Amino acid sequence: MAPPRTYRCEAIILGYTPLGEADLLVTMYTRDQGKVIAVGKGARRSTSKLVGHLEPLTMVRMSMAHGRSMDIISQAEVVQSFSVLKEDLLAITKGLYLAELVDGFGAEESPNPELFRLMIDTLRAVEDNSRSDMPLRFFEFHLLQVSGLMPELYHCVECREELEPDAHRFSPNVGGTLCLDCSPDDAHLRPLSLRALKVLRLLDRSEISKACKLSVNESLADELRSLLSTTVGYWLDKEIRSNSFLDRLNNESLPGVYT
Amino acid sequence: MARLVQELNRLPGIGPKSAQRLAYYIIRLPDDDAYALADAVTSVKQNIVFCEECQNLTDASPCQVCSDPRRDQTIVCVVEDPLDVLAMERTRTFRGLYHVLHGVISPINGIGPDQLKLKELFKRLERPEVVEMVVATNPTLEGEATAMYIHRHQGREGLKVTHLARGLPVGGSLEYSDETTLTRAFQGRQEI
Repeated sequence: MAPPRTYRCEAIILGYTPLGEADLLVTMYTRDQGKVIAVGKGARRSTSKLVGHLEPLTMVRMSMAHGRSMDIISQAEVVQSFSVLKEDLLAITKGLYLAELVDGFGAEESPNPELFRLMIDTLRAVEDNSRSDMPLRFFEFHLLQVSGLMPELYHCVECREELEPDAHRFSPNVGGTLCLDCSPDDAHLRPLSLRALKVLRLLDRSEISKACKLSVNESLADELRSLLSTTVGYWLDKEIRSNSFLDRLNNESLPGVYT
Repeated sequence: MARLVQELNRLPGIGPKSAQRLAYYIIRLPDDDAYALADAVTSVKQNIVFCEECQNLTDASPCQVCSDPRRDQTIVCVVEDPLDVLAMERTRTFRGLYHVLHGVISPINGIGPDQLKLKELFKRLERPEVVEMVVATNPTLEGEATAMYIHRHQGREGLKVTHLARGLPVGGSLEYSDETTLTRAFQGRQEI
């Protein structure tokens, strides 16, 4: 029997590009199909039934039809619009950073429901507290975990000895933390403070709600941002473009809420 | 021939097959028509410049709108693209001036404020005769983000900053409207 021509799915919209006269090429991450790139026919017309339902960072329920080369979006209904997040420039930029990472790590026809859930949970956490960077750190850490790239935090990746409560070193290239006695020739090797190691272990063991309550000082926040962002960038093997605008907003002292 | 196909293929929305069809069409054109097309392409690249005021594309700077003394100099409407100016002009409602950004902030595509005509906008807003700025970016996530950025960074105290109303399009349907559009339409309801 031929597979059904249509299917339903829940998805988070990652982005879109204009296609032809009035269509959109929509990139989304679905719970059951992984990354899907589909066509929204006529979706750029103001009277289209799809307009407003396909904005990035929106969770939607879709009806899709298999096309010859690409799937076609036949219906879309907003499940969660994250409307509070979309009223804050910094929160939007953080959301787009998450979308860029999911687009990069997610693969077509390779479902990863944990990644879908992680994206939704992190968007909610950013919506609840757009000033904190901890939701992004939680996301980066667990993105590595659900992608099978979890860094080792408890034993030295070289000698396999249990790590002492001390400063160590870290490299994404060798898969995590190294004790000070092991010195592989590795260009990605960087120092890892004990405080940063403790926060990483906390991120490993905690729910997102608990992790996001953690408050860290500026130097530790910088170390965590640099370490996790570099590790994610190492595996993605390309520049994370939303990072530069995010850094720019973070460095500004102006208020972030648009009223 | 291969070069022509290759160049046409670089145009937006033109795939390899369409590029071949267009190339064959150009070959079959009478000489005068083909040269007129080539001349139009050359001329547009040689003569079209950014208007020194509004940054719209024009063959003479300042453009027709900016040099028209009948236009209201106190209000500036900020749009994403030159085509948005044409759309606004079709309404015959707005009689002020424009400012064209030539895009929106799009972090995922690596487009930040420095790639847009924002520096020129903020400089224009320093003029005391400007009393209102209408931010008419598209009601998309990136359009809204750009509007927020402009609102945060315009340094003129007392400047009235507005944006276009959000709501239902003519010919649209409540049933298919998303919740954000409906909420905003409800918030902006008007007495009949």
